[in-house]
Amino acid sequence: MRIFFLALTLIIAPAQAANIEIALTNDRVEVDTGFAGARLILFGAVTGLDDPASVDIISVIKGPEARFQVRQMEKNNLIWTPGPAHLIESAPGLYLTYATRPIDDIAPLPLQDQHRLDADYLDIAIGAHTTADAENAGLYRSAFLSEAEALGLYRSHVGGIEFKKGALFTITARLPTNTPVGEYEVAVYLFRNGELIGSDAAALAVNRVGLERRIYDFAHQRPVSYGIFCVALSLIAGWVASLAFRK
Amino acid sequence: MQLYLPIAEMPVDPFVVITMGAAVGFLSGMFGVGGGFLMTPLLIFYGIPPAVAVGTESSQIVASSVSGALAHLKRKTVDFQMGGFLVAGGAAGSVIGVLIFRMLIETGQIDTLISVSYVIFLGLIGGLMLWESIRTLLRSPEDKKRQARKRRSPAWLAALPFAMRFRASALYISPIAPITLGFLVGILASMLGVGGGFIMVPAMLYILNMPTNVVVGTSLFQIIFVTAITTILHAAANQTVDIALALLLLSGGVVGAQLGVRVGVRLKAEHLRALLALLVLGVCARLLIDLALPPASFFIVDGVR
Repeated sequence: MRIFFLALTLIIAPAQAANIEIALTNDRVEVDTGFAGARLILFGAVTGLDDPASVDIISVIKGPEARFQVRQMEKNNLIWTPGPAHLIESAPGLYLTYATRPIDDIAPLPLQDQHRLDADYLDIAIGAHTTADAENAGLYRSAFLSEAEALGLYRSHVGGIEFKKGALFTITARLPTNTPVGEYEVAVYLFRNGELIGSDAAALAVNRVGLERRIYDFAHQRPVSYGIFCVALSLIAGWVASLAFRK
Repeated sequence: MQLYLPIAEMPVDPFVVITMGAAVGFLSGMFGVGGGFLMTPLLIFYGIPPAVAVGTESSQIVASSVSGALAHLKRKTVDFQMGGFLVAGGAAGSVIGVLIFRMLIETGQIDTLISVSYVIFLGLIGGLMLWESIRTLLRSPEDKKRQARKRRSPAWLAALPFAMRFRASALYISPIAPITLGFLVGILASMLGVGGGFIMVPAMLYILNMPTNVVVGTSLFQIIFVTAITTILHAAANQTVDIALALLLLSGGVVGAQLGVRVGVRLKAEHLRALLALLVLGVCARLLIDLALPPASFFIVDGVR
């Protein structure tokens, strides 16, 4: 794809073969007991341009695909209860975009669709086994998108991209505290006058580490032993506490 | 400062959590109650997923019951025979409760069910307690004397088959009664994250007619076993026991309880009961309001494993 666009730009404007490259300062984000979100810094360079500041950049950070379910709250006499679940088989667990200007001003809609530059173009299908008809499927899809935005999982930002010296720039992204673990793709797209003239991508891994990981793995891989461990620890802790306060 | 909870999968402020543990510990020390019925709703108000609040609370109850249970063991104020039947019933109830819990997690109704059960449970208990304490407070001293009456088992209890002798309690009743009581308390304990002493103690006193001196020890004996079983079952079936959260709550709780006991002895029993009733009704009202008000968002999005 990159080569194709590179070739395209070469044909259209051979004098200005532009491209963009990025690197992450850290391609590993660690979720430990002190995790409270993370700041992610991307370094990049725009090459082959005389005036790099005249271009636009869009960066898309896409988390691992995950399954979700959407429920509508229904009024049941006095109280509100969640209705039946509508399954979303696959959607990015995190979807953040950073752009130099509003995306609609940078990229024409077909390109936004082609490169999934906006959450509206993501392939999010409501499970076929549900009773939702086509109209309701659209309702649940947009409900999912707005909820994901409210949870901080799907966000689009204007800004966060800073041109440094000449062709060099940085993108400062903020991963939320509920960042899912898994493999991420970080992509950047270079635009000029509504045309895509270059792109690059890098991989990022978000992992649980340390005590946080040990407890999580223990609880999920050997749940019975973990339960017995919790009881034993509680008994010991309760006993120690009773000793500490004995008169 | 933030601490990321491994099972709840969310960051919390550890000082806030310890303070919550201390506050509930203080109240439970002051009123002489377990505190699970206050801690679980408080954790839910704080934003802990209700299923994790329940699972975690059962392990915290194990810890906070140890000192009381040990003290009663030492004083020999435990009816082991009765306790054994209560535990047997409780274990069965806990299995059923955790199975229902698991089913409701799958259909996504667990949060609602926990809240609704709490509203009913706290509303009933708080209402009864308030009624009782108002009556006691209004009653004249001579009425109080008349209240001291000979207690008698209900007729249906004496009619149950397989009656046997309970030495420590000086009773001749059917084990079906404590098994059934234990079973109901076990369901309650596993679905609401409570010990159940709240229900069990009055039932042991007024229905089973056990002597006052063994009631608390025997109920603690049942609670520690049943909440231990419940903790293991929740961990195994639902992965909803957050040990980091439980230890934080416990560290606040033990200190709070010590202070609470000291304040509690200075207050009159009737006043304490009225205060506790108001507190219980307050928590109940808050839960009901949360259920009845239109939600902040009309859609819920959850990750599915």
